[in-house]
Amino acid sequence: MAASKSIIVFHTLLPEFEYFRPKTLQEALELLDKYKGDARILAGGTDLLVDMRMRLKQPKYVIDIKGIDELHTLKYEEGKGLTIGATVTLDELLNNKIVKEKYYVLWDAIRQLADTHLRMKATLVGNICNASPAADSAPALLVLKAKVNIASVNGTRTVEIKDFFKWVKKTILEPNEMVTSIFIPEPPEGAKGRYLKFVRSAEDLALVGIAALVANPKDPAKRIVRIALSSVAPTPVIVEEVEELFKQDKPLSELAEEAVKLVKSKVSPITDVRATKELREHMVEFGTRYLLKTLLEG
Amino acid sequence: MGTKYVGKPIPRIDIDKVAGDAEYAYDFTLPGMVYAKLVAAPYAHAKILKIKYDEALKVPGVLAVFTGADFPFKVGIYAADRDVLAREKVLYYGHPVAAVVAETLEAAEKAAELIEVEYEPLPPVLDALEALKPDAPLVHEKLHEYKHAPFIYPKPGTNIATHLKLRKGNIEEGFSKADVVVENTYYEPLISQGYLENWVGIARVKSDGTVEIWSSHQSPFAVRNLLATSLGLPIHKVVVHHMYLGGGFGGKAGLLLEHIPVLFSMKLGGRPVRLELNREENYFYMAQRAGYYFKMKTGVTKDGKLIAHKGEYILDAGAYADYTVNVARSVGLKPFGPYEIEHVYADAYAVYTNKIPTTAFRGFGLMELYFASERQMDLLAKKLGMDPVEFRLKNVLIPGKSITHTQERLREDAGDPAGAIREAAKLIEWGKPPEQPKEPWKFRGKGIAAFWKGPVQPSNAASSAIVKLNDDGSVDVLVGTGEMGQGTITALAQIVAEELGIPIEKIRIAPERRTDMVPYTWQTVGSRGLFSEGQALIRALEDLKSQIKKVAAQVFRVFEDQIEIRDGKACVVGEPWECISLAEMALGYMYPNGNTIGGPLIGRGSHVPVRTSIPDPETGKSVPAPFYTFGAGAVEVEVDLITGRVKVLKAVMVLDTPAINPMLVAGQVYGGTVMGINIGLLEELKFDKNGRLMNPNFTDYKLARAADIPEEMIFKCLGVGQKDAPYGAKGVGELTMLPWPGAIANAIANAIGVELYELPMKPDKIIEEVKKQRPELLEKVREALKVKG
Ligand SMILES: Cc1cc2nc3c(=O)[nH]c(=O)nc-3n(C[C@H](O)[C@H](O)[C@H](O)COP(=O)(O)OP(=O)(O)OC[C@H]3O[C@@H](n4cnc5c(N)ncnc54)[C@H](O)[C@@H]3O)c2cc1C
Repeated sequence: MAASKSIIVFHTLLPEFEYFRPKTLQEALELLDKYKGDARILAGGTDLLVDMRMRLKQPKYVIDIKGIDELHTLKYEEGKGLTIGATVTLDELLNNKIVKEKYYVLWDAIRQLADTHLRMKATLVGNICNASPAADSAPALLVLKAKVNIASVNGTRTVEIKDFFKWVKKTILEPNEMVTSIFIPEPPEGAKGRYLKFVRSAEDLALVGIAALVANPKDPAKRIVRIALSSVAPTPVIVEEVEELFKQDKPLSELAEEAVKLVKSKVSPITDVRATKELREHMVEFGTRYLLKTLLEG
Repeated sequence: MGTKYVGKPIPRIDIDKVAGDAEYAYDFTLPGMVYAKLVAAPYAHAKILKIKYDEALKVPGVLAVFTGADFPFKVGIYAADRDVLAREKVLYYGHPVAAVVAETLEAAEKAAELIEVEYEPLPPVLDALEALKPDAPLVHEKLHEYKHAPFIYPKPGTNIATHLKLRKGNIEEGFSKADVVVENTYYEPLISQGYLENWVGIARVKSDGTVEIWSSHQSPFAVRNLLATSLGLPIHKVVVHHMYLGGGFGGKAGLLLEHIPVLFSMKLGGRPVRLELNREENYFYMAQRAGYYFKMKTGVTKDGKLIAHKGEYILDAGAYADYTVNVARSVGLKPFGPYEIEHVYADAYAVYTNKIPTTAFRGFGLMELYFASERQMDLLAKKLGMDPVEFRLKNVLIPGKSITHTQERLREDAGDPAGAIREAAKLIEWGKPPEQPKEPWKFRGKGIAAFWKGPVQPSNAASSAIVKLNDDGSVDVLVGTGEMGQGTITALAQIVAEELGIPIEKIRIAPERRTDMVPYTWQTVGSRGLFSEGQALIRALEDLKSQIKKVAAQVFRVFEDQIEIRDGKACVVGEPWECISLAEMALGYMYPNGNTIGGPLIGRGSHVPVRTSIPDPETGKSVPAPFYTFGAGAVEVEVDLITGRVKVLKAVMVLDTPAINPMLVAGQVYGGTVMGINIGLLEELKFDKNGRLMNPNFTDYKLARAADIPEEMIFKCLGVGQKDAPYGAKGVGELTMLPWPGAIANAIANAIGVELYELPMKPDKIIEEVKKQRPELLEKVREALKVKG
């Protein structure tokens, strides 16, 4: 939908663009560098093509990375962690034993992301690069302390996932940069996690999403509790103070109450077409309570 | 029934839909076809000052740009209130102000972007109650000039598109006898029919002046009639082609946008013009369903007898009222559920606002009405301290005895309203409290709602059918009813098979219709198809059979009443070995010496509703419909106070009618149930403060998904038939949707003690109302979620 000036045209067709399908990362990076702000990476296209039809994005050049073998890595190294390449689909992750066993919170989020058909196209990296506040994989990656591997013709860099999102649909990526993979370190020993997604119907976008990760709840010295949320702020957020809070040697009942207060104070949900601010606040409170009870007691 | 085909669960004959070779209008193309693209205004209400399109005309492939000035007249269904393209003013956000026609859609879209319009914004009116205020901005200043049907009552100088009155008894006297009175206002937002096939129309004008149109519509003859009258064309020069329809739900009844490609084709020397809508366009350019305010005051005596009901019903019709004026008539003439009330006083208004235009929707206002009136029933029962089922049974209409709201004495064979309520209560195990789940934040409750409906149609809504016997004894059936998934053609084929004693496989009822080649039917709406076409078809079969008997009687030298038709043969009664096959006589029976008698055998039959009459404009007194189907729905729901979501665990539906095909009825029940539940819980068109529709897509206009279907859906047909209905069967299509929002709201009240007066009953609303009405429940949940240790 383009509401340019005095008229609206609801487009059926995509805008015109030039299409590239490079075979190597180097080629892709060179194209990206050449066309800078006028180019867009195409992974699964489940966000990009929708945005293009709606004229929210109108790249002149589209660089399809699905033909680049080196971006299709999915590799687990015992004791180190998991590397997920930029073209690995959500469906591939859902069917991966390591993801389900070691990184359950991420698996739980992917399981609830879109539907079977979409997940066969959509990528995890695409979900993050799209930087929607409602990105379902983001809270899980936040509590898992994932790292984002970035490349450009000038070299590579790695950032913490919590520093990756800048604003609604904005990341820290420079116009000539792209994400090559996501690395998730070995989760804390004995960690359990859940992703609670509040929806209106089956296969909906998150009204609020909450990921929680808990390890060794009964032992204050080794206890780890992390909470991150989607759809409650301009970007997905982790409430870092929660982890600090739970380091204290206090009764769990007390800490949980404080954690709920803390989470509520750190989010700023709004009213939009999907839900009211009040409903989101309710979901943040009761969702956090529910997850803490399930994971701390269980 | 001692039948072989009727009443049996026979699989649908339109299996080409499963195979993938079914053809829909959207699939249709013509050689040399060009593309039209509409351009919309970004204001809810504004004066058009200037439209500039010279840049658009320069785009290669562009043939023309049109604006309102090219079409200086109005079109419409019951009132001619609609511009082809906006003239003088735009009336809603998304109102088409201009159009491009080009050789390709690419060129049309590119050129569309280059059109510029200057406006002077006007204050919009975005709420139906506001629109009724004396100082409200007028949507249609020239309402007094509009042509309209005699049975709608627009009020020039106001935003009232129609005002319907119903008066029965003496309302003051009624309330003076009431011991308990419940008075509430209910609100239901605009919603969308949500069919899958977006609208498309392909039109061309032939050199002899014949206008041809292929489009996605429910009722080919209504399109023909309205196109011809709107454009001043002779009826026989308009040929409407009907193909399979990918869902209508009322949203494709009547004339939609067919006039647009037709007019464009006329301007372009007859070139075929295609106007195809995408999903967003379908939301903005097609008519959706009205919003509703129901103000209801209902009184009962202390022994539980309904005595008085006063209703003021206000429909938010949007910028054009299309069928909504007739929907106002529907709720105006049936202002309460299937109960007898001595004193009834109702006013129904359709009101123009600066929103998306509105039209018919499956159920024609009655699902909306029963949400309100079945809530009234439960609230009254509560105040009386009476069981809601018992209260309903005490007041339910009795065939042969009760006088309806339109002062009609219900025919003796009208059905079994009480039986439906009793059976639904039994199937939901009414009286047995639901088993509460172990999670302390989940609450279960049961609710029930009763309903009735007949087609809202003119008293002369006719149908006809033709049956042609073919060389090999197979049969072609011609009818005018549209096939949009409801399955009527399968049920009609079953009737033919039954009457002629031939297998279903020997019968063809093509899905395509051409208005110049199939017999007339008024419309495919109002759950009237099988009832009306079925009667016409049975008459056509009688006609055919009498011709068959005549030929056979001559051959066997007996009287016609000594011939019987069985297994595709005409035989002498009592001598089943003395037969001639239908094939032998189909084109004329030839004796061994070559002499031939008879001739191609063709049966014809007609139907008009019997006894129905035009409502009195002051009181509504009338026989509005040729039948009513009665029924009841009951649910068990679970309310989750963490998520705010309501889940229907079990849905029960009972219909009083027999079923020609129980499998088709099951399809209707399951579809109607899922649709009705979802409307109750989720569906709404959301507008921002400037009147812009915010959810013109399936991302945020929430239709039910497969995983939202209730686990347990039970239905039963009681088999109580009406004598003049085909095999007793009355309509069911819309009926299957009517009780759900009301039953669910009643169940929610029983689960958590929260009374709701608004749809949808979405999580936002549930939590908001729990906070207001039962805050202690949330405290309980907090307590239950306390971490131990
Ligand atoms: C029907 C439907 C339902 C959906 N449901 C959900 C849901 O429930 N939850 C949810 O979170 N999302 C949902 N989505 C959104 C979308 O499917 C996901 O965000 C998906 O993970 C995006 O992945 P993709 O590979 O398709 O991304 P693409 O569309 O290919 O890319 C997304 C964006 O990221 C950029 N990009 C992609 N890869 C890179 C890279 N390597 N480096 C730099 N930039 C890159 C692209 O240029 C584009 O702007 C839904 C979408 C649809 C259409």
